[in-house]
Formats: sequence, structure tokens, C-alpha cells
Amino acid sequence: MLNKMMVAGSALFIVACGPIDEASDVHHDGLVYCSEGNPESFNPQLGTSGTTVDATSAQLYDRLLDYDAKLQQFVPALARGWQAFDKGTRYRFDLRENVQFHTTDWFTPSRSFNAKDVIFSFERWLDKKHPYHDVNGGRYPFFRSSGLINLIERVERVDDYTVDFHLKRSDSSFLANLATDFAVILSEQYATQLLHQKTPEQIDRFPVGTGPFEFELFRKDFIIRYHAHEDYWREQPEIKRLVYVITPNANKRMLKLLTGECDVIPYPLINELSKLDHDAEIKVGSSVSPNISFWAFNTQQPPFDNVLVRQALAHAINRPAIIQTIYNGNARLATGMLPETSWAYSPVQQTYPYDPAKARALLEQAGYPNGFSMSIWAMPVQRAYNPNAHRMAELMQSDLAQVGVQVNIVSYEWNTFRQRLVAGEHDSVLIGWVADNADPDNFFRPILSCAAARSGNNRALWCNPEFDQLLVDAIAESDLDQRKHLYQFVEDMVMQHAPLVPIANSLRFQAHRADIEGVELPPYGGINFRYARRVNDVPL
Amino acid sequence: MFRYSLRRMVLLLVTLWLLTLLIFALNYWYPGDPLTNMTGIKFSDTLAYQQALVARGFDGSLLSQYFSFMAHLLQGDWGASMVTEQPVFAEIKPLLGATLELGLLAMLLAIVLGIPLGVYAAIQQRGKLDRLIMGLSLSAYSIPVFWLAQLFILLFAVKLGWSPISGQIDPLYAIDINTGSILIDIWLSDSDYRIAAFTDALNHLWVPVIVLSIMPLTMLIRIMRNAVLDVLQQNFIKAARARGLSDSTIMFRHTLPNAMQPVVRQLGLQFSVLMTNIIITEVIFNWPGLGSWLVKSIYERDFPVIQGGLLVLASIILLVNVMVDLVHAWRYPHIRKEIDAK
Repeated sequence: MLNKMMVAGSALFIVACGPIDEASDVHHDGLVYCSEGNPESFNPQLGTSGTTVDATSAQLYDRLLDYDAKLQQFVPALARGWQAFDKGTRYRFDLRENVQFHTTDWFTPSRSFNAKDVIFSFERWLDKKHPYHDVNGGRYPFFRSSGLINLIERVERVDDYTVDFHLKRSDSSFLANLATDFAVILSEQYATQLLHQKTPEQIDRFPVGTGPFEFELFRKDFIIRYHAHEDYWREQPEIKRLVYVITPNANKRMLKLLTGECDVIPYPLINELSKLDHDAEIKVGSSVSPNISFWAFNTQQPPFDNVLVRQALAHAINRPAIIQTIYNGNARLATGMLPETSWAYSPVQQTYPYDPAKARALLEQAGYPNGFSMSIWAMPVQRAYNPNAHRMAELMQSDLAQVGVQVNIVSYEWNTFRQRLVAGEHDSVLIGWVADNADPDNFFRPILSCAAARSGNNRALWCNPEFDQLLVDAIAESDLDQRKHLYQFVEDMVMQHAPLVPIANSLRFQAHRADIEGVELPPYGGINFRYARRVNDVPL
Repeated sequence: MFRYSLRRMVLLLVTLWLLTLLIFALNYWYPGDPLTNMTGIKFSDTLAYQQALVARGFDGSLLSQYFSFMAHLLQGDWGASMVTEQPVFAEIKPLLGATLELGLLAMLLAIVLGIPLGVYAAIQQRGKLDRLIMGLSLSAYSIPVFWLAQLFILLFAVKLGWSPISGQIDPLYAIDINTGSILIDIWLSDSDYRIAAFTDALNHLWVPVIVLSIMPLTMLIRIMRNAVLDVLQQNFIKAARARGLSDSTIMFRHTLPNAMQPVVRQLGLQFSVLMTNIIITEVIFNWPGLGSWLVKSIYERDFPVIQGGLLVLASIILLVNVMVDLVHAWRYPHIRKEIDAK
């Protein structure tokens, strides 16, 4: 050993600075993604963390159906097709044949994908008595918060390639939830094998799926290694070796992208972005995230119970200036609750244009000609939808002073902050929401319904039965055009009553080397390397 | 020599025993359940928890808990990480390999460069080169490792592009982890791109090795210089000169062997400094070694891992110090006499 060390030591200084030519072949069909953290597990059903989703969903697994953001419609995946029966309370899925699961060191499948796998994947979290329900935590936060766990009554196998989902009521967000990154299909045969070996917890650590990449190795804090799945049922990925290098430090990620040690990085530093964009070697991609930042008024308290006051305040703030200052222009001015990427979105003129004169007139009309004083609560943490709430509150403070409203800015530690919000101690608050799925309902019901007001998630504490009824009608409607129409009413109602002022939909960023193509950020869900490829053979 | 060695070994064992006492006590001082801190088994995992309760003697007195703690420790059952749920002991081997690779190469570099430079400075005493070497070593000694590492990364990796920023090897080379030392692992692997991978690994290695070696290197230069100057003033050197021995004979036969004595004594101390710096260096260079593992575990409050990391690092430092002492005493018998006389 010492001898080898000596050889290595002396060789060190001879070859250290030489160019590496032999290396280019491993780089040709390999890709390095410098991810921002460790995945919590290798099964997205168990969590809601974006890092886990990025590392697993699109790479290791497939879903019954996918959502095509460009066409804005659902497309077949493991299900070739589907039909709704019984007024939308029963969905029949026609499954694809000859779909192979991964063959790994720890599992060799003897059959291809069929109805058993679908039933296992759903019953694991639906059925509390399922042998796998409590394995690795037994919490399925996405299915719980989306209500899917209460919506699906049972999943029934009709034959090997047909399954029926029985729902408790009709719900048009059902397909959207099935198309999310969380509703992945696991292998029932692998699960049974692990149960026999008495090591069921391995199912989420040594994953087996049908996805384009197979799991090879995970070293916490350092590396995740995948290779292409040779029997993938769709087009083979061009990248044969995919490596995630875990790099939590954003500066280091940026530098490693510049030196070519990373091919793709998520969350590049926002203030360095402009610099990167000019660099010929680096390309920056962005997509509008399904998130919204808003300013909610406590409608239970005077003077905010007066709709005129709320409208006046909405006119008093200069939102385009906020977008420039807080987001460096990396966000879209929100015209309503729904972001541009939602299928239910309709383009509208700018709502509540910046108009201090009109704001003053409205205040006078409401009986506050000399203004009043109020508090704005600014959340103490950074979020994708609002990188600096405190600074935003300061900008609004000076805008509001113009119309005679005196503002003091309030902030607490994050947990205390949320507890006090639930207690309704605030006048107004700067906060936001990140949607879990493509369904427009996800932008209204959790934020503005009466139920949300009771649970404290409705930061405006605004409860309007008429509005709730409109939401129920919209979700029960299965015709897309009709639904879209209904959501316009919903948006209009939010606009008129102004329980909150939508501010921005922020953009999500990712940067990659110029020779990498096909790594696009989907607006919903995690990163996908299935279409990634290296254009020219450029040695690092 | 035998008595001296025995005394050192007993001292080592006593220190190690005190270390286990400290680590055992830490389980109770950390927040949370001592049994969970020790084994990584959570209370919610009822069956395993009950089994561990019995196996670890938690149904008995504190003394029986300590005895069972020692028994498990010696059997290599160091509990499982609370984050990854992997056994701590099994995780240590590759990490230790990576740390030792970095540390030994840095120490080797410091010795190979430090000793000749120190001797050279002594011969050239008060000459221009002496002043240059001493000036450089003093300023390099004053630079903290974390800053030097960042500086080298900016210069060599980002500006000049001579080396990658961090890591052991380009991750696209799939080298099986065996010993943890990347050079040895490549040597052992049977992949087709061994040569390319080896070159790439060396390319990743040289910046952290230089960063790490700076501190012991500058110390060795200074110690060596002073030691040589001391010896050169001794009467036996004057006598040798008077007898007409050549300069090189005086240097290699008489001066150097005597001057090495304080240097050897310092090596153990320098190794301890190196192990402290290696923790910082590993974090900055994403080196998969014990140091970065320990730091991560502290962030994550992963108590079984903290214990394992502490135990291994402390034991290595202790062992190396005792080894150096033994070599020193074996090589320079008069030191033994001095110690025995006391």
C-alpha cells in the first residue's frame, strides 16, 4: 500500500496538469446533474419534496397518464386509454402490454407490467391495512392533501390489462392528480419478493420501476448513479449514464457549471443569472412555476371588511415596480390567481392598474379621506414565489404612504408567524401558494374557500358561500370548455371582492451547458432527462 | 525500550478507554433518548426498540449499560445512522480510506519538500534564499486553510482551468468503492478506462493535497532549519571540521541524523494539526472522507454517526502520536533515558 502511495505521489506532479483526451468517450453519452440536495427516499409517494421528485419520478418511474404542458392535455403513458363511467364516479384504464420493469442486482422481474402493479401502487397508500402501508413512515402527504386518499373508494382489477377506479363522487381533478409526479407505478412482484425476504423497507431505497433510467447506487451527500433502462417501452434515452452530484452550495453549483463539471444545475443564483445568460457556454431555461405570491387582507377586521378599502389598496401599490425590484424581472405580473401555464387561464388586461388618484377617491368613498394606519406581515423566509417579502413590504409601505395609509411591517419567526396568521392576528400579509397539480381548483379551494378559512389556510379569512358554490360547480363539470368558462367567473369574483391582491407568478430556473439539449423544465413536476442529449462531442 | 513501550501502550489504552467513557456519556448528554442516540433505532419502531433495550442492557444499571456498550463497540456494532439507517461501522471503511489517502499524501509531500528546504535554508543562513524561504513559510503558515482552499479553487479551477473544483473523480467514471482511496480503487478495478480514470483522479487530488500540506510543510521547514543550525554549532561538528572531513560528509553523516530528532518528535503533532485541517478541506472539496461525514452528521444531529466519527478520528490521532513516540524513542535512545530518569 505504501508503495502505491509513493508511486501515486510522484506521479501526481508529473501528470497533474496534462490534458485529458481519453476521457471524452465516457462524457459522450453521460450527463452530470448537480442537484441541490439528497432525496429523502427513492419513492415520490412518500413525500412532497421537490428534490426527491427531481431524483425519482421522471427517471425511475412512469405514471398511468402524463400531462403534456404544451398541448395542455393528458396523454397516455402506462395506460393506453381511459374512459369515465357512471357520471364520472368510475374510471376504466386500459393498460399497456409488454412494459418491462428494471432488471437490477436485487431484482429480476419474471413478468411484465400488469394490473397487479397498478393495484399494489395505489393500495399501498389507500388501504391502511396493506402490509406496505406503514413501511418507511406510512405518510403519503400528497395523496392526503390533494384529497385523493378520500376520493378513491377502491381500485379493481377487471382483467390483467384493465383496472377500474371507483370514486366516491365525481371529481374532475382526478386525472390531473393521477398525472402528477407522485402517482407512480411500483412493481408488485418486487414488493412480494421483499416481503418474503422480510426486508420490505428496501422497496423505497433500492427502487424498481418502469422508467427510462435504472437506479445503480446512492451515496448520501455525494452521488446518485443511474443508467439507461435497456428495455424501456418508449424511445430509449440517448443518455446512457446519468449521475446526480449532490451540491447544496449554490455558488459551487454555479462555478462547477462554468468549469464543465456539471452539465445541468437547478436553482442558479438569481442575481448571477444575467451574467450567465451572456456566456456562450451556458444556457438558462425558465418556466413559469405554478405558484402565486399575493397580499391577503384580513377581511374579518375593519377597515378591511369594506370592499372599497380593499380595492383602493389594490390600486395603490405599484406591482410592475415590485416585479422589477424583488424578482429582478424574473417573474410575471399576476393578472389573476391562475398562472399563464394553467389550461383554465384566459388572458386579461392588467387588473388593478397602479393608480394612486383612483385609490384616494375610493378611500374617500369608503369614508377614510385621511387614510388610516395598518400592518403588513412579511414572512421571514424565502420562497420561490417571494424571494424577499420584507423588502416587498417596504416598497409597498412607500406606495401606500402616497395615498395616506401608514404602514408598519411585522415579522416573526416562521412557525410563530404561521400560528399567529391562523389565529387571525394580522391586518394583511404577504404570502403565497405553490400548486401541486395542474388542476385550476388547486389555486382556489385551498386558499379562498370557507373550509380553508376555518382551517386557517385562508389568509384573508374570507368566506363567501356563493364563491364556494361556484367552486363546487366547477369541479363537478367534466366538459373542459365549460370548466374553463366557470373558472373565469371564479377569477372575476376574486377580482371584484379583492380578498387578496395577486402579485406575481415567479419563474423557475435551471441552467445547462450549451452542448446539452432536451432538458426542459416542465411547469408542473420535476426535471426529466428522458429527452436529454449531448449535441457535439465536446470534451470537458 | 520494552518498559518504555509498555508504558506508552498502557497510556494509549487508558486514553482510549477514557474516550469510550466520554462517548458513552455523550449519549446521555445529547438531547433525546439515550438508546436512540446510541443505536439509531427510533422509539416508533417498537419491536426493534424493545429488542435493543434488552440487548443494550437498558433494563439494568448504568454500569451494565456501559459494559454492553463496550461489548457492542468491540464487536463492530456501532449503531445505525438516524438519517440513512445504514450501519455506522460499515460506512466507516471507505470514508477512512479516502481521508487517509488525502492525509498521507499531504504529509508525504510536506516531508519530501519540507526537509530539504529546511536544510537548504540552514546552510544558506541569512542569505537571500534563506530569507525568501522563511518569509514565504511564515506567510503561508498564517493563511487559514479554508481561505487558502477557496483561493486555490478560484485560481486553479475557475481561472486557469487546470483542475476540477471538487470531488474525487469525474462522476461519469463508475469506479466501485472498495477501500475508499480512489487511486487504490482504480488500481483494483477492472474497467477499460483505468488509465483515464487514474489521470482524472490525480487531477482532482493535487489541489487538496497541496492545500493540506501547506501547514505541516511550513512548520517542517522551520523546525528543520533550526535543528540543523543547532547541530552545526555543536562541538562534534567543529571537531569533524577540524579533522578535515568534507562538507557533504559532515552534513549527511553527522548533521542530518542528529537534526532529524526534533523533527521526528514534531511529526505526531503535525499529524494532529493535519487531521483538524482535513475536516475543513474535505468539506470544501466535497471529499467523501470522515471529516465531511462528521460535519454533515453534526448538522443533521445524527448522533450515532457523530460518535463513530469522533471515535475513529480521535483514535487515529492517538495511535499516530503513540507510534511516532515509539519510533522516536527507538531511534534516539537518550530520549528514553531522559524520560526514565524522571
